[in-house]
Amino acid sequence: MPKVTYVEFDGTETEVELQEGWTLMQGATLNGVAGVEGECGGSCACATCHCYIDEAFLDKLPAMAENEDEMLECTVSERKPSSRLSCQVKMSADLDGIIVHLPEAQS
Amino acid sequence: MFRFDPYSPEVDADPFPFYQTLRDEHPCFWSEEANMWILSRYADIVTALNDWETYSSAQGNLMTELPGRAGSTLGTTDPPRHDRLRSLIQMAVTKRALDHIIEPARASINEHLDAIGDASSFDFVSQVASRYTVDLLFYLFNMPEASKQAVHHNAVLMVQSDPLTHTKGPEHIAAFEWMSDFSGQLIEERKLAPGDDLMSQFIVAEIDGEKLLDREVQMTVTTLIMAGVESMSGFMSMMALNLADHPEQRRILVDDPACISDAVEESLRYNTSAQRFRRVLTRDVQLHGQTMKAGDFVGLAYGSGNRDERQFENPDIYDVTRKPKGHLGFGGGVHACLGTAIARLACKTAFEEFLKRYPDFSRVEQQLPWISSSTFRSPTRLELSIR
Repeated sequence: MPKVTYVEFDGTETEVELQEGWTLMQGATLNGVAGVEGECGGSCACATCHCYIDEAFLDKLPAMAENEDEMLECTVSERKPSSRLSCQVKMSADLDGIIVHLPEAQS
Repeated sequence: MFRFDPYSPEVDADPFPFYQTLRDEHPCFWSEEANMWILSRYADIVTALNDWETYSSAQGNLMTELPGRAGSTLGTTDPPRHDRLRSLIQMAVTKRALDHIIEPARASINEHLDAIGDASSFDFVSQVASRYTVDLLFYLFNMPEASKQAVHHNAVLMVQSDPLTHTKGPEHIAAFEWMSDFSGQLIEERKLAPGDDLMSQFIVAEIDGEKLLDREVQMTVTTLIMAGVESMSGFMSMMALNLADHPEQRRILVDDPACISDAVEESLRYNTSAQRFRRVLTRDVQLHGQTMKAGDFVGLAYGSGNRDERQFENPDIYDVTRKPKGHLGFGGGVHACLGTAIARLACKTAFEEFLKRYPDFSRVEQQLPWISSSTFRSPTRLELSIR
């Protein structure tokens, strides 16, 4: 299974294996990664699964839909060019080894 | 031979032993009674929710669908149209947009608790939960007070199904039609004089420059009323039941009301009112040695996934300190419940006030009457002793 590494705001790293088709949000919430809340359950509706994707993987990500773009305007921590909502990024072979940095706060 | 009949009163009363057998022995099970496959393991349900292209909602999401509803509501539309429809409502129901409901919610719950007076027991469902959720929904949609009782009566009926015929009975269809007409009338009024309420915003909205279809607006409003009234009231009743049955857990909340939010999450996991929802396959899928065919219906048993020991440790223990992230109490994926923030806020507010007044209570009846529904599960009456 492809792997993902979450880096919490305090530097704590968690590496998890994530089934293809499952989202980066699910990989975090199901493995005790505290920096992702995912309050709305993954429907792109709360902006509490905000993350910064490591630069090396930015161009491998699926394109951002309009909804996600709008919701990213509602994040508590600063939106950066590398910002995504982790519920909108599904794991794939291409993303094996992806590094996901988490912001200081989600809500 | 094992059978799973989501229409049977036994499953209404206690689905959990059935779920255990499903998960352990028949993780991909064809239910003849339901005429669909049943997925019961957490991982399989999540995979299905993630893969909306394969597990489509376009032919309905209720286990027993209402006539003419599929395709015209949020829950019965697939992306990309779903996403555009949903974004029209979404911003109005995010956590930050809902501060304005806290005080009306607090006033409403206290009014209904006051009304209990000196009684030694009361029915939590009819005297508190349903009145409170009707109040909140009427406030959100700015609907005419005089219709409260009728809206509640019909919302409760329309979610039910007939245990014998395995379909909606004439009384359930009539309730649905009443609600559709009620919504249609409100929509006409709001079209003439739109307010700043949630419904008005939705009615005047456009997608890509096109007005929403009349049927879409009507069915969506009908569904929001159904979910806002019955689904939320059902969930509150389940939470009250849990706190009655687990006094040591209730004590944790009484001692520290800040834990109530965590108790809401654990109740959503432990025995959410939304037990099972439906999808239809757009292609053949092989799972656990079975072949599910394109066109087959698939029931996703959220209530079972939430008790899956492959995902949650000691899943049959009700533990308000668990913080069960990723539970399926609101479903998940693109169709996760729209009202999560409202439901959480409303439950938290209600139980803050309730536990302040009644730190000790117990249930009066050991055998509860359960709603007859293939989709939802909650008691129709929950008499609580408070003295």
